[in-house]
Amino acid sequence: RSCILVSIGGKNIMLDCGMHMGYNDDRRFPDFSYITQNGRLTDFLDCVIISHFHLDHCGALPFMSEMVGYDGPIYMTHPTKAICPILLEDFRKITVDKKGETNFFTSQMIKDCMKKVVPLNLHQTVQVDDELEIKAYYAGHVLGAAMVHIKVGSESVVYTGDYNMTPDRHLGAAWIDKCRPDILISESTYATTIRDSKRCRERDFLKKVHESIERGGKVLIPVFALGRAQELCILLETFWERMNLKAPIYFSTGLTEKANHYYKLFITWTNQKIRKTFVQRNMFEFKHIKAFDRSYADNPGPMVVFATPGMLHAGQSLQIFKKWAGNEKNMVIMPGYCVQGTIGHKILNGQRKLEMEGRSTLDVKLQVEYMSFSAHADAKGIMQLIRMAEPRNMLLVHGEAVKMEFLKGKIEQEFSIDCYMPANGETVTVTTNPSVPVDISLNLLKREMALGGPLPDPKKPRTMHGTLIMKENSLKLVSSEQALKELGLNEHQLRFTCRVQLQDPHSDTDTLHRIYTHLKSVLKGYTIQHLPDGTVMVESIVIKVSSSTEDPNTKVLLLSWSYQEIYIYL
Amino acid sequence: MEETEFDDILDDWFIESLKTYKDLHVYQLEHPTQVIEWTSGKTVCVAGFTSSKNEILELRLPLKLFADENKGLCAERDFKVVHGGFTDAPVRCLRHIPGTRCVVTNDGLSSDLQVWDLGGDDSDVIRRTGSVDGSRGVSEGGSRIAARLSSQPQVLHGAESAGVRLTQLTSGQTVYTLETDSADPLSSLHFVSDAVFLAGCSNGKVYIADTRTSAAPQLSPPPPSSGESVLWWTDASAGPSCLDPSSCRIVRLSSCGQTVISDLRNPGGAVSRAQLDVQTRRCNADDVRVSWAPALDDCIAVSGFSGAVQIYSSSVWTTELQEAQPLFEHRGHAVSSQSDDGVPVFVTSHVWHPERPRTLLSAASDGSVHVWDWVDQSAAGC
Repeated sequence: RSCILVSIGGKNIMLDCGMHMGYNDDRRFPDFSYITQNGRLTDFLDCVIISHFHLDHCGALPFMSEMVGYDGPIYMTHPTKAICPILLEDFRKITVDKKGETNFFTSQMIKDCMKKVVPLNLHQTVQVDDELEIKAYYAGHVLGAAMVHIKVGSESVVYTGDYNMTPDRHLGAAWIDKCRPDILISESTYATTIRDSKRCRERDFLKKVHESIERGGKVLIPVFALGRAQELCILLETFWERMNLKAPIYFSTGLTEKANHYYKLFITWTNQKIRKTFVQRNMFEFKHIKAFDRSYADNPGPMVVFATPGMLHAGQSLQIFKKWAGNEKNMVIMPGYCVQGTIGHKILNGQRKLEMEGRSTLDVKLQVEYMSFSAHADAKGIMQLIRMAEPRNMLLVHGEAVKMEFLKGKIEQEFSIDCYMPANGETVTVTTNPSVPVDISLNLLKREMALGGPLPDPKKPRTMHGTLIMKENSLKLVSSEQALKELGLNEHQLRFTCRVQLQDPHSDTDTLHRIYTHLKSVLKGYTIQHLPDGTVMVESIVIKVSSSTEDPNTKVLLLSWSYQEIYIYL
Repeated sequence: MEETEFDDILDDWFIESLKTYKDLHVYQLEHPTQVIEWTSGKTVCVAGFTSSKNEILELRLPLKLFADENKGLCAERDFKVVHGGFTDAPVRCLRHIPGTRCVVTNDGLSSDLQVWDLGGDDSDVIRRTGSVDGSRGVSEGGSRIAARLSSQPQVLHGAESAGVRLTQLTSGQTVYTLETDSADPLSSLHFVSDAVFLAGCSNGKVYIADTRTSAAPQLSPPPPSSGESVLWWTDASAGPSCLDPSSCRIVRLSSCGQTVISDLRNPGGAVSRAQLDVQTRRCNADDVRVSWAPALDDCIAVSGFSGAVQIYSSSVWTTELQEAQPLFEHRGHAVSSQSDDGVPVFVTSHVWHPERPRTLLSAASDGSVHVWDWVDQSAAGC
């Protein structure tokens, strides 16, 4: 499950709030005691951001906001806001009604939770408060999935959620600008995977459907209205056309209405091809695919049916499944993950005898096929994303931390950035170099430029002498004189003197003259003066000679210089 | 080519593949590989061959490929990068030492070998553990490497026939050196049993030697009608079906497609020959591969001449040189490659699965790696 806490510039942000689908007890929820041992989370979080509608990213949201307690803003894209409550309600129904669990959120809680949602548009900067701002980027993967850029002052973090770098039949590829975040947070599983091409997965799907149809079998494809249904329909339609196949393909009613409704709403979230198609016609207007009537399930001969719901837990898809399960010529293709407690989950775990209502058993003789069409990035994709965003540090989550040295090394070598891989429960501290903007007075700037030498290189740091004044929220750099004036202080000049003893029998004047001549010969290029008042000056360093009172052959040289000179001559 | 035109051709090939392949997986590596080497029944090693930094990766094949009875319930189709390491030189040859977690590589620039530890469960790093000196300082084409299971890990290597040596990995000691009259550049080295090996030369000669004796090796001269600039590649069938080394067969393939099969019992003669339908192109000596199928009778795979891998059945060949048509052609790399610079893609390597009869892995110059299980459409044959 995904649930990451980020503290940046004094702000606390929760990224995703997912449910762990493998556990039946409270271990499925994130452990919020990391935030606070007791009480509500509102005071501890500035905002919550949800990347997309998959349950391992948003499944625990109503639990967090209504049962643990959080009243602050929850950000997500418009499609996510529309689809999340549907999935959460389905999930709740299965868990509570079917499995009879008690420590779970209610329908009302889902509604109350969604009231706290503030929807996001792509590429639009949203001010959460006067210091924290966020921006959503297109992530591909599923409808409405976003990567999010979080900025506080000059520090920033990008969280990718789930994304993919290759466009598919109905979604585009993830994209982000060169925002140079201090940290880029992504999944480590991507980096250790090399994905089989989309076409091969589609091929497998077509092959299975075709083989079943050829032997006279019926194929049931339970789908979620907004999942792969549209994509798989386009695929079958093209295939049927090419192969001149005659077996009927149906989709259940309700599926098309919902799908059309959502796609119309969120057309900007799909890819170019879909948008073009949609302009020309209705999304579900196909030549070979027709609306299903429940009586067709009893028709003899081969057919393909797309029906909801996707996990076979209720409704039409379950009804059809019950009718077709007993014939080994038939097939059911599950195109996605099924939650525990559903029939879908059971048959995907190999169960061949199912207990139905009224204690009757259903023998599962048909062929069960599990296919994964979800679009995820892989090793190549993650490197592409890093190249796009140019983060200063990389953070990979959900990996087997012990074993990720190679990957860490690869990222560090290729991009010269640090790569962190915290385990669950571990805290990582990343030091950043925040840039602090400071105004500089024109006089000071002019003076520094007048110092001569080659023109300053804007990219190279340069030492300069000034005074930094911090007043209210502004910082400015001024010359020392100006600072003294502004502060109403007097200037004090410091001169340093040191004594050097020499053995020299000559007179003071002669010794001084000899020193003068010597310095003139070794310190070429410097202004050396022998003044009438009995001193030698090297630039502004003053040298005086006097004899020691005890011994006239011991001369004492006094060297005196002002504070300013130290860094020039040392 | 226009994108839609390309998509159509690709779609056509995929639709055709429904009947011609049982399984098909298509992957894209970040950098192309010239080597594919089994390190276990489910893992392979691949490595880059650019002139500067390269990666060596150990990949685990998708679980779906091996989930025989429950194949339908397994959705896992991806490669998993289980171990990885870095090298500063190209990897032109990579060999796994059976019975160990060790691989040996050669960079094609000299005859020296680099020794690596693939790592275990506790780490994902492939580390360099040492090197093995070759017999000469610098040689064109680099060394060929062979290894077989033995109590002490050993590696057989060499760039030329004179100077092939068997080196003990732990001590670095040479336990055997091949002595031949001439120093012919090698195109392959194969063990046919624990002690007997074949040194295939680019000029078509094949030396058969026994590491237990210091006797001179047997020489099988190059097939007749072999011209000056013709290059030859060799493979020997060795494996469970080859208990008696003298019943092993050698296949020799030339750069113009001529193929000769001989028996180890009579290495000078030819059991059969054929003229293969390979597109003649200026082929790189490094890319051509010819291999016997380990689990099919008389089947040979050929790649490196183009963007295809061809499977031939030699059971129908005779001693007369006749044209042979492939039993199967995997054109996946050629069809799915969109080359920007107009340079056509070519296959850089292929390997058979050691047990699954018709499963192969192939890699191409565009970084693609395919895993495919082809359907034998002919009634007779393999």
